[in-house]
Amino acid sequence: MVHIKLKSAMLATLIIVFSSCKKMLDVDSSSAVSEVNMWQHMEDAKAALMGVYGLTRAALADNDAFWLYGEVRPGEFISPGRQDLKAIANNELTASYATLENLTNWRRWYAAINAANLFLERIHEVKSKDEHYTENNMNVDIAQVRSLRAFAYFYMARIWGDIPLILASNENEFVNKPREDQNKVLAWAQTELEESAEQLPFEYSTQDEKQQGDYYNETSDKWAGALIRKLSDYAILAHISAYQGNYQEVANYTAYIINNYSSSKMNFSSSSYLGSSTGLFNNRNSNQLLGFSFDWNYQEGSPVGHIEELTLASPLVDKEVPDLYLPKNKIIDIFTEDKDGRFYLDTLGNPGNENYFTNFTSKYPIFSKINCNLGGETADENFSTFTSAIIFTRLEDIVLLRAEALFALGDRSDAESTLNTIRIKRGLNNYSKDINGDLLTSIFTERQRELMGEGHRWYDLIRFNKLRKVNDNISNLIENGGIYWPISKNVLGQNSLLEQNNYWK
Amino acid sequence: MRFISLILSMGLPVILHAKETDTLKNSLIREKNEIRDTVVIPKRITNLPSTSLQQYLKGENVGLYIKENNGEPGTIQSMYIRGITKPVLNPTDNYQLQPLIVLDGIPMAGDHPFSYDIQENNVNKLGPATNLLATIDIDNIESIEILKDPADIAQFGPLGGNGVIKITTKAPLGGKQIGVNFYTGVSFKPQVETINANFENRFRKQFYNQYANDYELDTYPVFLSDSMNNDYYGPSNWSDSYYKNGILEDFNANISTDTKNAKFKFSLGNLINKGIADGTGLKRYSARFLVEMKPLNWLWVSALVNGNRLERDRNRNLRDRFAEMNYLPDLTSPLSPNKGNYNSYLEEFDQSFDKNITNLINGNISLKVNLGKFNFTSRIIADYNEGNRDVFYPKALLIDNSYASNYYGLNQRIFFDNTAIYNFNINSENQVDLKAGTSLDWETYKYNYMKGFRGVNDFIQILTSSGAFPKQLLYKYIDKTVHNMISFYGSGSYQYKSIFNAALFLRADGSSNEQPTSRWLFQPSLKINWNIKENLLKENNLLSTLKIIASLGRIGLLNSSDYYSQGPLYQSEIGYTGNSTIPSYIGISTLTRPYSQGWIGYNLNWAYSDQLDLGLNIGIQNDRLNAAINYYIKNNKNQLIGIPSYMEYGYSQSYMAGMNVQNQGIEFALNWQILYGQKDKLKWNFALNISYNKNTLQQLPNQLNELTIDNRLLKVGQSIDQFWLYKNEGIYQAQNEIPVGKNYSGILFKPGDPIWNDANIDNRIDESDKILTGHIFPKYTGGFSNHLSYKNWDLNTTFYFNIGRDIINAEMANKFDFINQESEPTINNIKEITYWEKRGDYTKYPLYNPWSNVIPYRKDQDLFLENGSFLKLKTIQLGYDLSKIIYKNHKNGHIKKFYIYGTANNIFTISPYSGRDPELVDYTGFDYGYNMAIPSSYTLGIKMGL
Repeated sequence: MVHIKLKSAMLATLIIVFSSCKKMLDVDSSSAVSEVNMWQHMEDAKAALMGVYGLTRAALADNDAFWLYGEVRPGEFISPGRQDLKAIANNELTASYATLENLTNWRRWYAAINAANLFLERIHEVKSKDEHYTENNMNVDIAQVRSLRAFAYFYMARIWGDIPLILASNENEFVNKPREDQNKVLAWAQTELEESAEQLPFEYSTQDEKQQGDYYNETSDKWAGALIRKLSDYAILAHISAYQGNYQEVANYTAYIINNYSSSKMNFSSSSYLGSSTGLFNNRNSNQLLGFSFDWNYQEGSPVGHIEELTLASPLVDKEVPDLYLPKNKIIDIFTEDKDGRFYLDTLGNPGNENYFTNFTSKYPIFSKINCNLGGETADENFSTFTSAIIFTRLEDIVLLRAEALFALGDRSDAESTLNTIRIKRGLNNYSKDINGDLLTSIFTERQRELMGEGHRWYDLIRFNKLRKVNDNISNLIENGGIYWPISKNVLGQNSLLEQNNYWK
Repeated sequence: MRFISLILSMGLPVILHAKETDTLKNSLIREKNEIRDTVVIPKRITNLPSTSLQQYLKGENVGLYIKENNGEPGTIQSMYIRGITKPVLNPTDNYQLQPLIVLDGIPMAGDHPFSYDIQENNVNKLGPATNLLATIDIDNIESIEILKDPADIAQFGPLGGNGVIKITTKAPLGGKQIGVNFYTGVSFKPQVETINANFENRFRKQFYNQYANDYELDTYPVFLSDSMNNDYYGPSNWSDSYYKNGILEDFNANISTDTKNAKFKFSLGNLINKGIADGTGLKRYSARFLVEMKPLNWLWVSALVNGNRLERDRNRNLRDRFAEMNYLPDLTSPLSPNKGNYNSYLEEFDQSFDKNITNLINGNISLKVNLGKFNFTSRIIADYNEGNRDVFYPKALLIDNSYASNYYGLNQRIFFDNTAIYNFNINSENQVDLKAGTSLDWETYKYNYMKGFRGVNDFIQILTSSGAFPKQLLYKYIDKTVHNMISFYGSGSYQYKSIFNAALFLRADGSSNEQPTSRWLFQPSLKINWNIKENLLKENNLLSTLKIIASLGRIGLLNSSDYYSQGPLYQSEIGYTGNSTIPSYIGISTLTRPYSQGWIGYNLNWAYSDQLDLGLNIGIQNDRLNAAINYYIKNNKNQLIGIPSYMEYGYSQSYMAGMNVQNQGIEFALNWQILYGQKDKLKWNFALNISYNKNTLQQLPNQLNELTIDNRLLKVGQSIDQFWLYKNEGIYQAQNEIPVGKNYSGILFKPGDPIWNDANIDNRIDESDKILTGHIFPKYTGGFSNHLSYKNWDLNTTFYFNIGRDIINAEMANKFDFINQESEPTINNIKEITYWEKRGDYTKYPLYNPWSNVIPYRKDQDLFLENGSFLKLKTIQLGYDLSKIIYKNHKNGHIKKFYIYGTANNIFTISPYSGRDPELVDYTGFDYGYNMAIPSSYTLGIKMGL
């Protein structure tokens, strides 16, 4: 009897075991979405789209790359203590600091590109599976993703020159690719942006014909300054053309932006708005023609990935010495004109305002133009969670770019009047050759003053020297390819088709 | 018989009926003087004032290497059985090498390393980070076995892929018994030489005088620049407040009865172990209840419940605090070495708390049906442990910003095992045992973690939804991972007299962490045991034991998480350096490929370990001299490793299967009764164990020949635990000593720069000039002990050693590299109060230009590589057994056993290493100097049986 009991017990056990086997071993991960569960719903599209934005933001913010590339490399800002920043300013880009290793590695840009490629390959699945996902919504999404991808390639071309052009996720078999001539890459990017611009609205959730209804059921406030708009594309196009020296195109693109900015709810920024902790740079707003925000209200602020990390110090934050500062004499050299809304010294030699600099008289003047801490509302010197956006371009940049283009095209008087629109807004008099000297130099000086700390300076110097050889050092670098960054040894090590930039060999 | 009973003990419930219990016991306890290389009897070890299993076992066993790299009570320690089988590059790798702990048949659920995914640094694991093996109360332990050979491990399958430590607790034996064990003692604070800013100033002035330009002179650190500043230049007497003697206490009481049809045992324990610094300490409360019944002649039921609670007082290091907060404030000026200042800093902690509580409860219910030759056993096992950490730092600690965090995490295993055994005696000489069984394993790991900054005041110390902490600075993290496994196994063993034994073990395991296309793995193993003495040399009087044991088999190796089982997947991963967990873009959550973590494709099949073990056991003169020698070879194959690749597709690396690592080693154990014999004569027993291990990388995926990961080079044919360093050959004193154009990856050398060996003679120093050198893990480990006894006295001394390991003295590298270290503060260069302790040998290093962009004091050079071998006197114990005296005087008394003893522990270390204790170094081989010293301690204790 015992035997029978035993046998049936064993049998029962075995049956239970076998039938539940498969079920027991199929465990759905709770921390990741598997391939089969993705690209099903509109929410997946939204999450993937924001993923491309997030990765682009990460690429710009990582190790403060945006500023280290754009502001530190010219060597105008000085670092009292950070050896890695000193090395960048000295053009010793192969020094083995962790920061430099990261800055020479382009992987994070290709992450954004891959996310974009994947999006473009797979988004149609969502369209076919979720009826709430409209054709119009998809087209706008696709246009943004293509724009971000083109932007990434443009940004990389400025840093490394020739780069592999990869337009598919190739997940079945990853194929290593060699570097592509940057002119080809940029020509492709230009087409992409022009086509995308066609599909993009001036502003989201505002009954724009290109984007109907509330975008992802959110009102326009949600999207203000957050997404790529039609004019963002033209702004990137203007920069690409300027970088290539196609100034006629720059003039065309900038004209379009200047004629239509009000449709994008944009406006020029006052000097105090520039310097305010709740102004242009904080969180996001429509005036950020192309910006990547770190929204305070969604815990996106951080002590790292912001220029404040580099430039601020006591008394603005709890830090004895800033990582970067502009020496007093240099400030005075740049801001020469009286009543400049950004910075000037009054007759007694005291700063006339604090929109750009704090503690000017101390050993280390603090560059505090961008100073958005804790959402900007409550100034707190003791705790750093910065919430400034990374702004690639804004209206003033476009206007000055236009002035530069007009000058290059030989239209000096229009160049002058375009320059004056910015000068007037900053409380300066109209340009005068007798006082301000050479016009082209004035345009670039104006850029330097206006866009200080916004990641433009290095590329401005290159364009300036391409137009006129004013700086032997930079001209030499342009000639021998030294304006580009070396490619990280980690990148070279994993793809044998890649070759180091000649200058850094 | 040992082997047979071992097999039995695996398959059967722990509690066996009387006859078998005796067999089992005999097999586990050291009989006479025979070497059981795998068995530790914790008699001598139970006297140690240790808190964790690792500490007890350190240096006691062949094949088991223990890293106790922190003297802070209750911190996590690592164990490695027979070497490392994959490169240990991060804490997750280290977790994956830890052996399985089986407590009374319960495969314990250890910590899961997945919370490292959301951590910016590896300083501590999130949560209490308490050593779960500090829950084990050594007074309850009967035996500990280290299972290393493939056949022994195979009983536990892939869970035991890194080896198994099998712990058996004391069973009730014979009538009613009461036991009381108690010790008390002190761990002594170390004597340290303190320094103040004057020392540091003089040190740095050398560099400034020789190399600094005006600008660099102008940026001389503020805390050193004013010699009138009493905060830094005053007396350096902080150590009075930092180091304190610590109290050690342990109490264990148990009661048991053993009758014909029922047994039970109940024990309670309490341990207090105070650290020697910074107010650290560990408290343990433990309770254990065991009951076994025989309600019917053929049915046995047993139940075991084991509950523990650990409370840990952690250090107050800046580094640990900022690591927890993931926030680095300005650290330009270090803490003041002055006692007054330091005390007022410590007072700021008065309002803070840092509660670390770990609760562990495990148990099993076994049911055994015994029908003579046929036995059926069913067991349900549950192991559950949870960790809580509640932290509050008041405003004063971070310039007016408070911080709070709450962590709750659990690890859980439910295990259901059924086994049928058939004993088939052909005749008195030939016996066959057959066994078949299945087991089901459900594991769950999860945590909730929340942290917030800037509470409104210091009264609200817990993160509530009341808005006391601003929502913008409130961060929440939740994660959960599940692992299920199904196993089928069967074995057959054949025994010929006591001469020959062969056992074949077959199993198949399916794991949910493997990809659906390759869920299952079949694993055979075979063990052969030949008693030559019994067979051929029965008449030989000199040889008392001669055995050969051979074992061969394959064991699966589990993936650590479900991450790899999914194939390509999507995660929210849009972070960047320093802010890797940024949750969203404009508040909208994202889904992307796991670019920074790496690509996971398909066809990642099971990794497995093929092993061979050959053992020889010799006993001479009735086993007065007994020696065991083992040779093993262990090939861990098809393991996963991240290969840097597909970077133009955004991935930092791609996980590929196909890494093979071989471990080979020889283990030798000796036990020699030098003096023995009659009662009341001096007896002297000497024991030695020594293990040699060597690992070799045999293959990388994709036919790669070498692989660079961060600062490590993995090269086929070489060891996986080597440093990859520049060879330092001095200093360029003058420009004319420097070959024209000689550069460090493009940067020209200047006077004051180091000379690094240019291995490929291309006038350029770069990674191709680095060499693989040194070993992070020791080649030889072991220990030796002497046991002397005379009448009722006994005296023990135990030494242990590591030979053939090296350390990068990163603490000294940081001291010399002060320019770069202070240029950008990171979690690994924070100056603790112990910055003001003189450590290391400053005269060993040349005076380079610390501002040079070649980074002269970089850590990846052999300038900082040192021999980390050591020999330690682990313990001296003196005991006196009063049992006989008491028995003589009180023949009717209740006291059966009364033993008093004293111990002195961690008495000295002999090492060529110029830093502190060479043990205080983790799996990276870098000694940053943050870990707390292992104290010397002294205890007095009694063991009493009623």
